[in-house]
Amino acid sequence: MTHRSNDDIRKHFEDLLDEVRRGAVELGSLVLENTRRASEALLENRLDLARAAKEADDEIDRKYVDLEQRVFEILARQQPVAGDLRFCVSITRVLYEIERSGDLAVNVARGLLRRDGYQMPPHIHGLMARACRGAAELFQASIDTLADLDATAAVRLDEADDEVDDVVGELYAVIGKASDQIGFDVAVELSRVGRYMERIADHAVNIAEHVTFIVTGAFPEERSPAVEDEG
Amino acid sequence: MVSRTKTLSATDVVQQTLRGRRYDLRAAAFPTALLATLLISLLFLAVLLIDIITDAWSVLSTRGLDFVSSPLSLSAESAGVWQGIVGSLMLAVVVALFSFPIGIGAAIYLEEYAPDNRFTRFINTNIRNLAGVPSIVYGLLGFTIFVGLMKLVGLEGGHAGKNVIAGGLTLASLVLPIVIITTAEALRAVPDSIREAGFAVGATRWEVIRHHIIPSAAPGILTGTVLTLARAFGETAPLLLVGAATGFFSTGNAGFLQKLTGAYTALPVTIFSWSRQPGADFRALTAAAIVVLLAVLLTANATAIILRNRFERKW
Amino acid sequence: MQGERESMGDEHLTEASDPADEASTKSHHAVSVSVGAAAESRQRASGDAEDQDIVFDIEHLNVYYGDFLAVSDASLQIRENEITALIGPSGCGKTTVLRCLDRMNDLIESARVEGSIKYHGVDIYGDGVDPVEVRRHIGMVFQKPNPFPKSIYDNIAFGPRIAGFKGDMDGLVEESLRRAVLFDEVKDKLNDPANALSGGQQQRLCIARAIATNPDVVLMDEPCSALDPIATLRIEELMLELKQDYTIVIVTHNMQQAARVSDRTAFFTVDMSRGGQRTGVLVEYDDTGIIFTKPSQKATEDYITGRFG
Repeated sequence: MTHRSNDDIRKHFEDLLDEVRRGAVELGSLVLENTRRASEALLENRLDLARAAKEADDEIDRKYVDLEQRVFEILARQQPVAGDLRFCVSITRVLYEIERSGDLAVNVARGLLRRDGYQMPPHIHGLMARACRGAAELFQASIDTLADLDATAAVRLDEADDEVDDVVGELYAVIGKASDQIGFDVAVELSRVGRYMERIADHAVNIAEHVTFIVTGAFPEERSPAVEDEG
Repeated sequence: MVSRTKTLSATDVVQQTLRGRRYDLRAAAFPTALLATLLISLLFLAVLLIDIITDAWSVLSTRGLDFVSSPLSLSAESAGVWQGIVGSLMLAVVVALFSFPIGIGAAIYLEEYAPDNRFTRFINTNIRNLAGVPSIVYGLLGFTIFVGLMKLVGLEGGHAGKNVIAGGLTLASLVLPIVIITTAEALRAVPDSIREAGFAVGATRWEVIRHHIIPSAAPGILTGTVLTLARAFGETAPLLLVGAATGFFSTGNAGFLQKLTGAYTALPVTIFSWSRQPGADFRALTAAAIVVLLAVLLTANATAIILRNRFERKW
Repeated sequence: MQGERESMGDEHLTEASDPADEASTKSHHAVSVSVGAAAESRQRASGDAEDQDIVFDIEHLNVYYGDFLAVSDASLQIRENEITALIGPSGCGKTTVLRCLDRMNDLIESARVEGSIKYHGVDIYGDGVDPVEVRRHIGMVFQKPNPFPKSIYDNIAFGPRIAGFKGDMDGLVEESLRRAVLFDEVKDKLNDPANALSGGQQQRLCIARAIATNPDVVLMDEPCSALDPIATLRIEELMLELKQDYTIVIVTHNMQQAARVSDRTAFFTVDMSRGGQRTGVLVEYDDTGIIFTKPSQKATEDYITGRFG
């Protein structure tokens, strides 16, 4: 699925692949929206938004299962090869990355609801906001990459991810110093949230790398998606 | 009130068209007309046969076997077709000896070896033309060339070269194009896939022909040759021209070579000569001889059909 | 495996009693022509990193039918004990190329071959090469099964017989049928007509017939197109077994088949740039795995994904 042809020889097949691609982009958009929702809930202490985020995840899971099933059918019935095959196999991985990101966003919301909101000192709040924004922007970029099938984006996203990693690293340090002030439990929770955001960023990079594979048949030089940064 | 028109469903349409009875006059008339033409043809044949057999009955019923085994005679009571039968058989042998090897060989060359160019096509066309040449022309050819040939090679015999060999050669020339054509057709009927298979396994062209093509084409070639002989059996005009004896002749106690190089006759020629004799007796003889000839031809054709059916293969 | 084949070859061919057939007592790798020893000693292609012999070295092959250029400038190497598939749309010349390998195109009067095809180092279109001998070393199986209208036994025995085989014909017939995985099905009816077999059985018979002359190469021209799917899979399974002892080149228009069985795949396509003539050209030739996961030519990708063909 690396190009479009004017021939109608396999229009039906093309349509099937297209549906899956658009579905994946939609799923990504839903998860992006939920990530932003969860971030806002976290930063504004809005429990109602947190609850909404949890509910939204049901639809996300349903769509995920449906899309996976479609890909299986395409594999079984259409015998795709070359670019089409790379697309089908990679898109299942992309779907996984998207769905995991969705779960992570819901985890943030859950944590918030469990603690009935967090009281974050301004320094921590600032860093948390940057981390959330960074993760969301990366994820947005990865969905755009998927929509455009841009093989060159992975490298850029990888660099942007380094920045998010730095922010989260700083966040950990600050949380550590303020742990007496905010209480140990809260410190642990907030660290977790930081980690979730960092992992969402990682998933975004993975998505972009899969797109590179779909288009070129090879992963970008430096990393394989199996390796995740341990923060 | 809105009137409801009943639209026909697919089921309704099918039921109407399939169940409704329809009688198409034209469709029934055509096969009937064809059947009529067949019956008319058979009618002609039947009339001919009945006519002949009734004429021949007096001779066949009274003299039967004697008729078949008696030589020619000036008197109608004792004349028989024996010499005619013997002569026709000898002619058949000569025809077979000359036309089959040459004809089959030529066909093999044309079909399997000759390149497909203008010259080959030219030859093929002309063989077909030769097959259509009236048989009397071959008679003229035979008289000029083969009778003269007999004189040349010292086989003149007692009848100025007008012997069974010259006659046989003449008939052989006549049927040669037919042998070539039927053999070629039988060879062409062997699918090319067999040839390819043979070559692919490392056989030379001759090995492929010898082991696969000829055996496969054999039934067709055989049928062709039998039919050819049957055709030769019935030829009259060329034999007349090339000097088969029409009147009474006797070879008496002559030796085999003398019989071979001397006068001879053939069954159709006997029929011809008897038909020119006045009198009801000879009419009956003629008819009887015709019956004998027809019997021989029927047997030959039946043999060809049986052979073909026995060997018929489905590719 | 190699040793086993050599001894089988000797067993067949040393029995030849005709002294003129002395050539056939050489090992099955040599083609019995009067070529200098230097040519025969060239067993490995230069620059080949693989530890495999090159069986066919095709260089700049051009095939003409009269004035019509059917195949243009094809160059590729076929490796020993591999299955090589030739794929491409109709009219791309893949069958023409295949038939050049055993000089079957000689049977077409207007066919003319330029370039060289070296079989174990010997140019099979060179002077003094006997095409009949070539075809004993290179077997062929055709699209529609074409057994001789003879018994099963005689089908197999014909090739060796005319090659001068005087040994245990029964044993040879059985061995050939076993290798084609057909013996058990026909062992009680070897004298029955071959045409009575089913399509799949007939094709396996044709394969047995092809290997009876102890070739080292078997060419197959769309061998399964006339067969039902189960018979097709059986033949494919057979190919995979046979490749241990033979080199197989197969033309197929079934891409999945090429994907399933072949080690290397050559993709040909139709080039119409020569004044409307449909000339076949080789586009890409590589490991089958690569061709079907990331081909390097767009034309290849278009064809195998069904966007063009």
